[in-house]
Amino acid sequence: MKTYEVFLKKAGKEPFGHVGSLDAPDDHMALLFARDSYGRRSEGEQIWVVGRDHILAGNQSDLALADRSHKHNDGRRVSELRTSQRLKKELGE
Amino acid sequence: MSSGDHAAREYLLGFADDELCVGQNHSWWIAVGPFLEEDLAFSSIAQDELGHARMLYEFIDPEKSVDEIAYWRDQRGYRSAHIAELRCHQWPDALVRHVLYDLAEEVRWHALSGGSWERVAAIATRAIAEERFHLQHSLSLSERLLATAEGRKRLIPSFQRLAPMGQELFRANVDELRLVDSGLLSSSLTDQKNSWIKKVETLLETFNCEINWEEFQDAPGREGIRSSDFESLHAEMVEVLNLDPNAQW
Repeated sequence: MKTYEVFLKKAGKEPFGHVGSLDAPDDHMALLFARDSYGRRSEGEQIWVVGRDHILAGNQSDLALADRSHKHNDGRRVSELRTSQRLKKELGE
Repeated sequence: MSSGDHAAREYLLGFADDELCVGQNHSWWIAVGPFLEEDLAFSSIAQDELGHARMLYEFIDPEKSVDEIAYWRDQRGYRSAHIAELRCHQWPDALVRHVLYDLAEEVRWHALSGGSWERVAAIATRAIAEERFHLQHSLSLSERLLATAEGRKRLIPSFQRLAPMGQELFRANVDELRLVDSGLLSSSLTDQKNSWIKKVETLLETFNCEINWEEFQDAPGREGIRSSDFESLHAEMVEVLNLDPNAQW
C-alpha cells in the first residue's frame, strides 16, 4: 500500500484544501478510495490525490526562526500615522 | 403503482428485497472491514443499496411507510434471492458477492431504465449513476487481488460457490414475458442472465477460474421461501426498532 494525500475544492472561489490522507495499492484505487472517504457526500466539486512521496517537504527549522514579528504588518501603525496627520491638517486649517 | 399489475409488483418487490438484504449484509462490515479505506467504501455502498430499496418500496406501495414494508412483513412476504440473504462474514465471500451482485445490478437496472415505465426508468437512471462507482470499486479491487496467487487462492473458491447461486437474481415468480410485454423490462430475464454470465466469465477467464453454472439448484426465494440465513439478517435489521419502536434516524 502507498500513502496518498487528498485535496478537495469546494464550489466557487474556494482554493483546494487538504482534507486528509489514505492508503491504497495504486493510483487508480487511490482515486476511488478518495471519493469514498472524502467526497461521498459531495463535499467538494474537484478532488486532487497526490502520492505522499511526490510532496517536497521543506526543512522545518527554516520556518521556525526566533523572532519574525516584523514580518507581521497589520497596517496599524500606518493607519495611526495617517489619522494623526489628518487631524493635524484639519486642526491647522 | 397501479395494484392491477401483479407481475410488475412481484418483480419489483423481489429487486427491492435483494437491495435491502444486500445493503443490510454489507453494513455488517462497518468498522470490521479489511482496512479503513475499504471499510468506508463498502459502508457507503451499503447505504446506496438501502437507498435503492427505499426508492422501489416507495414506488410499489406509496401508501405504506417504508419501514413497515422493509422490516415488518411476514417472512413469506419477502421475495429476496437467497444469495442476497447470505451472511457473508468472511471477507472473500463478501467481496465476491459484491462483485457478482453489482455486475447483475448493472444488467437489471438497465433493463428497467430502458423500459417504458417512466417513474421506474427514472429510479433506475438514478441508481445507475451510483452503481457505476460500485462496479468500479468491486472490479478494481477484485482484479488486483485476483492478479496475485494469494488472492486467487482466497477468492476463486468463493466465485465458484457463489456465482452459480447468483443466477437466482434473474428468477421471477411470475411470467417473465408479461414483464417485457407490459414495457417494464426492455430485455427478458433470460437475456439478462446470459449477459450477466458473460460478464462474470469475462472477468474470470484470465484467472483460470471455471464456473460450473449447472451446479445451481433453483432457490425458491422469489416464491416467499426464506433461506436459513434470513432470520439472523432480519433480526439485525429490526434490532434498533425492537429497542425503540419510535426510533428516528
